[in-house]
Formats: sequence, structure tokens, C-alpha cells
Amino acid sequence: MYELFIAIRHLTSRRRQTLFSILAVGLAVTGLMWSQAVMVGFTDEMYSKTVDRMAHVTVEPKEGEDYIHLYRKLTEEITRIDGVVGVSPVIAGAATFRFKDKNKNVVMQGINVEAQDSVLFINEDIVEGSFRDLEITPNSVVVGDALAEKLGVKIEDTIDASFPEANPAALKVVGIYNSGTPLDETIAITSLPTAQDFLDVSNVVTTILVRGDDRERAQAISEEIDAMGYPASGWKETNPEILQTLKVEGTSNYISMALIVIIASFGIVSTLFMAVMEKTKEIGMLMAMGVPRRSIMMIFVLESGILGLLGAVFGVILGAALAMQMGTYEYGTEVMAGITSIPFVVRIQDAVIIVLFTFLLNLIGGIYPASQASKLKPVEAIGRE
Amino acid sequence: MSDTYIIQIKDLTKIFGNGVEIRALDGVNLNIERGEFLAIVGPSGSGKSTLLNQIGILDTPTSGTILLDGVDVTKMSDKQRSITRNRQLGFIFQYHHLLPDFNALENAMMPLLISGVKSSRAREVASLMLHEVGLGDRMEHRPNQLSGGQNQRVAIARALVNNPSIVIGDEPTGNLDTKSSESIYELLRKLNREHKQTFILVTHDERMAAKTDRIIRLVDGRIAANSHNSV
Repeated sequence: MYELFIAIRHLTSRRRQTLFSILAVGLAVTGLMWSQAVMVGFTDEMYSKTVDRMAHVTVEPKEGEDYIHLYRKLTEEITRIDGVVGVSPVIAGAATFRFKDKNKNVVMQGINVEAQDSVLFINEDIVEGSFRDLEITPNSVVVGDALAEKLGVKIEDTIDASFPEANPAALKVVGIYNSGTPLDETIAITSLPTAQDFLDVSNVVTTILVRGDDRERAQAISEEIDAMGYPASGWKETNPEILQTLKVEGTSNYISMALIVIIASFGIVSTLFMAVMEKTKEIGMLMAMGVPRRSIMMIFVLESGILGLLGAVFGVILGAALAMQMGTYEYGTEVMAGITSIPFVVRIQDAVIIVLFTFLLNLIGGIYPASQASKLKPVEAIGRE
Repeated sequence: MSDTYIIQIKDLTKIFGNGVEIRALDGVNLNIERGEFLAIVGPSGSGKSTLLNQIGILDTPTSGTILLDGVDVTKMSDKQRSITRNRQLGFIFQYHHLLPDFNALENAMMPLLISGVKSSRAREVASLMLHEVGLGDRMEHRPNQLSGGQNQRVAIARALVNNPSIVIGDEPTGNLDTKSSESIYELLRKLNREHKQTFILVTHDERMAAKTDRIIRLVDGRIAANSHNSV
């Protein structure tokens, strides 16, 4: 492999150019690695603040029907689907809440506490009282903190609930929750029987919420439920804007970062052009000694590839070190979807992909100057004085 | 016939030109014997170097044939030409054209490495060759640390290291002082005798030419005289 021997010697002989080339690519790759860590962290954070807190799959009544009948049987069947870890039947209806002189229209949700917690981890959101009391105390309700404030209610207060065609009820406040979303102002949670009594129905629900062991499984689960005859949609269908946001952020990030690396690689290509011009006589002499054109080309492509590889490795290490050093970027305020900080997430696979990308880019970039070198005619290259 | 003649040139013509046509070689016929030590002389522009480049397969003729060891090199593929240059030909130019980033030993090793010889073996052979040209104590020096004459000796070691059947020298002493020229010439002559290789030298130096076996005199791309010296 004399080609490699010559390529490495060329690089070590023009030490300063080599160092700057590696530095240029390295710093560009540092940026790429660092911003990839931000992007992965942002994606993780976005998922944990949104998808991880919502039902992965939502099941609705059959077409033309207002309710899901025989929901207990359906719930059991859904529980048996591979990968399902939580199933919660929910009945929802409109209600007007009145406390003292204040009125507020809300959505009343009847739930089974344990089931709902298995899908939405509601117990984590409780700030006062408990969801469990819904099942102990008849005609009780848990309200969001914003709703409680609007109505001016506290634990142990009793709210009058009414609605046209509904059975009016007096509901005792047994808990206050805060999910950090605008829903805290509009949703009131009761037990399933309480809500069914209020809405004057029995043995029916309006939706079934499902959680899978992996959010990416939502599509497969919803397809199986569809096959049971109930329309089901995964989170990607019910909240397309989440994926949209990630895609837009991700794409623009990749493009701008890849451009920087490409520009840095151009630096290597131009250095290589200079080297080819400088070494014209040498190339001619190598040809006279019997080095075939392919090998001349290989020497210069190798030089470019080696610079790219070293720059990429250096950049990935520096970028990863910076990202790990910073740990988390704190915004101080909410920027979107409940995100207040972005953790830097360094993944081995990103490092490998970035190194490969940069290496290949430089190999390809080296082809042009290298082919110029290989096209030299030995007589003209050696020249004569 | 190809046993006696290592090089047979027939009707070799080389025309350069963009618009104005220049006949650098005009129907040259020449046979060179194995082991000959021969000089090509002639005024500037007479076609000496062009002829040498043709024999060294560094360039292609416009017409005519060149047989090296009975094989027509004008019909060879690019790859075959590279292999032939590596195995059968050694080059010494007026300027040594050593690779500046490599030391004397590495420069002398290069043709061996190119032909696929293992690095350790190449090192051995190249080191013997450098001793033979009198540079055994300068092997780790780079070209910029050696004198003109020393560099030319490295170039000679490099040209001979692969044991080529033909050694081509284009003004090999043209860039050296008289004393160095003299010793380089003696070295080439010694190597010619010991290794029985064919040496073809282009030179301006009539005194040096007079010491060769035969002088080919080129004028305007034709052979004007072909005379044997009585040494």
C-alpha cells in the first residue's frame, strides 16, 4: 500500500496546512455534533412533554353512534393486544358548574381512577386531595387548579352541576390537579358512575384511551382496534403538529449544519488542488516510475479522506464533550409545549453517522483534484528546463 | 534478432502542433543492442528528448513502432505502460526529481514499493544500491540536505534499484559541475559494465559522448550520423 505511505507523508510534510484543514472540518463537525445533541434532546423533551402525557391511541364510538356500548368487553379485548399497557374507558359530557355566584361551562369526564392513571399518570398531577377519593366518596369531583380558581372553590366545597337534559347533581370537591396545560381550566373529573348518572346513561362510554409500551407502537395498536370495528386513531393522527414541528426543526437544523461541514470540506478540496499543482513534477516522476493513474488518484483521494476522517473524529469528540459539559440548556421560561429546558443528548449512533458522512464527503470531494492529478501527462508534468 | 536488439525503432515519427506543425521526430529507424552504452547528441530542438521520451514510453508517437524486448510498446494500454516503465525502465533526469518529502533510502525504495515488493525487502535492496552509488552514509537525508551530485546519485540508485533492462538518462550530468559530472559518468559506466544493462544518454557534453560505445547524432528529427566509438 505505497499509496497510503505517500499520502501520509504528504500530509505530515505540509504540517500547517494539514492542521488547519483538520481544524476547519473539526470545528464544523463540532457544531454539527453539538446541534445534533440539542436536536435529540429537544425531540426527547418534546415527546416527554406531549406524547408521553397523552393517550397513544383514542377509540371512538362506531360511526353514527354517540356512545361505545359494551365497553367492558371491548376494554378487555384491547388489554389483550400485544404491547398495550393501559386501557381507560372514559365518558365525557358538557356541564355547567356553579359555586356561589360563579358559573363555568366545563367538560365533565367520568373515569376509572386506576385505569386512567395507567394511561395518563394522572396521580402525578394532583396538588391537593386525591383522585382515589372519587371512588370512595359518591358524587365527588376533582378539578383543575385554574378551574378551582375561576370558581373560587376549595377542597370540601360542593359545586352544583347542571346541564339541559342532564340530572343535576351536587359534587363535592375532593382534589385539585395541575397538568400544566390549558385543559386545567375546562376539565372536571369524576368517577365513571357519577358521570354516567349525571348524563343519564348507563353502561356506556364516549372514548377509550390506550397506552402502549412504546409510542411508536400506536399505529399498530390502533389498526388492531380498527379491525375490531371501532374507529381508533394513534397520536400521530390526533396530534399531527407534534411530528410536523419536529420534522421542520430537524430538517432545517440538518441542512444548515451539513452546509457548514460541506463548506469546510471545500477548504480541504482547495488545499488539495494547491498540493496537486505544487506536486506536478513529483506526480510526473511517480508516473515515470510506473505508478498507474489509478494509484495517483488514490493517493490524493486518500489525503482528502484522511483529513476528513481526522477532522470528523476531532469534531465529534469536541462536540460531544461540549454538549456533555453543558448538560442542559435552561430557557428560564416556557418556549413551547411546556418545554422550559433542553437536555443535550449525545448518542453514539449520531457520532458514527457524522463521522461517516464527513469522511465520505471528503473522499468524494477529493475525487476532482485527484483526477486532475491522474490526468497529467508524464512528459509534460516532469517538464524540462 | 530481438535477442541481440533490446530496442528496435521503426519509422518513428512524432508531430507536435496546434496549427503550426512541428516534426520533432521524422521517420527514425534505430536498433540498440543489449548492454550498449550509447549517447544521443544533437543541437537544441533536434528531437533528442522526444526520442528518449518515446523509448521511455512517457509519450506516444504519431506513427511508427518501438519494440522493447520484442514487444510493441506503442500498442500497450495505459496500465501495461505503467508496468513496463516500472519493471523494465529506469529514468535519470537532468534535475534529480526526487520526492522532496522522502529521504534518500525511501526515494530509492519507491520503484520497488510500486512493483509490490515488501517494505522490508525494498529497504534492503535500496540500501545496497545506495552503498553502490557511494551514499551509504546519507540514507536518512532528504533531498534538501544533499548536494546536487549526491541527489543525482540517489536518482541513479532509484533508476537502477528495480534492475531494469534499460536505463534512460536525459542530460544526467547537465546540472552538475565538471568534477561531479566526471564521477557520475564513471559511476554510470561502472554500473553498465557490472549489471549489463543498456544505457541511453542524451547529452550536450561532447567529451562525455565521446566516451560511450556509440553516438547517435540527431538533426531536425532525423538521424544524421550513427557512429561507433573505439574505446
